[in-house]
Amino acid sequence: MDTSFEEKSVWVQLVGLVVGLGGYLIVAGLMVSNGVSALPAFVPVFAVAIALVVAINIAGHVVAAVASQSIEADERDRLIGCRAESQSSWILGVGVIGAIVALILSVSGVWVAHLLLVSLFGSEVARGVLQIVHYRRGI
Amino acid sequence: MARSRTSVRNQIRTLRFHCGEMTQQQLADQIGVTRQTVNAIEGGKYSPSLEVAFRISRVFDKPLEEVFQFVAASG
Repeated sequence: MDTSFEEKSVWVQLVGLVVGLGGYLIVAGLMVSNGVSALPAFVPVFAVAIALVVAINIAGHVVAAVASQSIEADERDRLIGCRAESQSSWILGVGVIGAIVALILSVSGVWVAHLLLVSLFGSEVARGVLQIVHYRRGI
Repeated sequence: MARSRTSVRNQIRTLRFHCGEMTQQQLADQIGVTRQTVNAIEGGKYSPSLEVAFRISRVFDKPLEEVFQFVAASG
């Protein structure tokens, strides 16, 4: 596949997010279903997930940089990034509004935190997918 | 031929041929974009900014209209 460094970078970020944060959300879902309701209990799992995201990103970007002739973004990369972000940022917005509503309704902090995390995850995954669609189909 | 997603057609492939088979990478280096962006412009998957369009026409020493043509949508 003929891809620029920026497109490879999007793939790396997407894989990192899905593996790291997606994995965390699955584990957190299992913990909640087993009755864990204290937020500090999720912190070690979250720390491992973030470490995984960072490790995948570092390794992936090193490989992508080695495999690319240039690592500089050009106007097409920037336009695709801006367009994908404007098309996906509403997901995070919905999550933030939902979290505020949940706080007003005195919903447990675990649910509020994970609502924010799920909306951030959804927004970032949607942005990455949209970027790849724009790279492949044209803009 | 791949279906173009933009209303702008171009003669970049032909002009590269007439410039001693200039490669996409050589053109990309001269106009400051990636080779993939030159490929996307040639394939009608991306309409470049005016600045890049002028740089391309300057590389080939042609007026802008000889490099890019706007095709109005029918109907």
